[in-house]
Amino acid sequence: MVLAISVMAFALTLAAIFTYFAIKSKDLVKAAVFSAGQSAAFALAFFLLMAPDIVLAYVAVAVGIYTAVLLYVISKTERYEEEGER
Amino acid sequence: MKGKDVVIGISAALLLVLVAVIVLLGGTAYTPSREIRPLAKFYLENCINLFNKDWWAASPEAVTSMLWDYRGIDTYYETSVFFLAIISGVALFRIAEIKLDAEGRKEEKELGLSIIVKTSTRIVFPLILIVSASVAFHGHLTPGGGFQAGSILAVGPLLLIAAFSRHFLEDRLRLTEDKCLTLRSVGLILIVLVIALPLITGAALLMLNQPKLWAPVSPFPAYVGPIWIAGTLFFLNVAEFLAVGAGFTLLFLLLSIPEEVFKRVLGL
Repeated sequence: MVLAISVMAFALTLAAIFTYFAIKSKDLVKAAVFSAGQSAAFALAFFLLMAPDIVLAYVAVAVGIYTAVLLYVISKTERYEEEGER
Repeated sequence: MKGKDVVIGISAALLLVLVAVIVLLGGTAYTPSREIRPLAKFYLENCINLFNKDWWAASPEAVTSMLWDYRGIDTYYETSVFFLAIISGVALFRIAEIKLDAEGRKEEKELGLSIIVKTSTRIVFPLILIVSASVAFHGHLTPGGGFQAGSILAVGPLLLIAAFSRHFLEDRLRLTEDKCLTLRSVGLILIVLVIALPLITGAALLMLNQPKLWAPVSPFPAYVGPIWIAGTLFFLNVAEFLAVGAGFTLLFLLLSIPEEVFKRVLGL
């Protein structure tokens, strides 16, 4: 029980770090990869919360399909965000 | 700029710790506990219960028996919403009916990514197919089910499009948009047939899985010989697997049409 909670805390902290980098990254392809990493960390948390059905759908959609659609959208626009003061 | 990043990092970490403390102290009123609530108790006791078959779904997988039996109509509507989304996608891309002509095509070797990626995709692709099939065909016994298996299946063609090309899928594997649409429709028709079959055999109840008190006959047995199929659950899982997998593949095929083709068709 304690082990499960500590691993879950680790996974969710990792997800938060990935999210931070996904927001900060100026390279949109890197941001998409960070987002996939965040999804993988969430999948681990879902598994520890005893929801294996969610894990199976979540890994395929969030790591595979969602990332692919994001990369497709990025291919239609520019890869690097401009340095702005806003 | 660096100092700003440090401040943001520290405050994010503090926020995380604060939220964790609040949740641990019971701030969200309900945190997952070891006690089972009455609703969960009903499903756990009844989804497979060989001694009292009044409410059973003949499946040890509580999630699948909820999805396709206890709240089956709900899942059916979810499937129709997904189908409508696919249909709208196809309608948006209807100008792409003109086939990609052979003249503008490069040699197949030039398309796609490096040989390392191609070889590893060749190894991974059959594994994805096997995993998705096992998730679908065991959906009534182990975690998983139709939607999960379908979305895993769709990752296979997605990898092929990325690593090889769209032409590889269409010319080599003969997996065209029309075929995907047909597979998708076959899955949906199967679902409707399974739902409507109890009406024909006189059970007077749509989406009947196992016999109920007011509908004593069901056309779907819990097992055939040594194989446990859990009534309708097996068939519905396989049909949803086909429908979702083919639907996603169809969308990827449409999305991977090169932009030049659109420009040429629209005359830009």
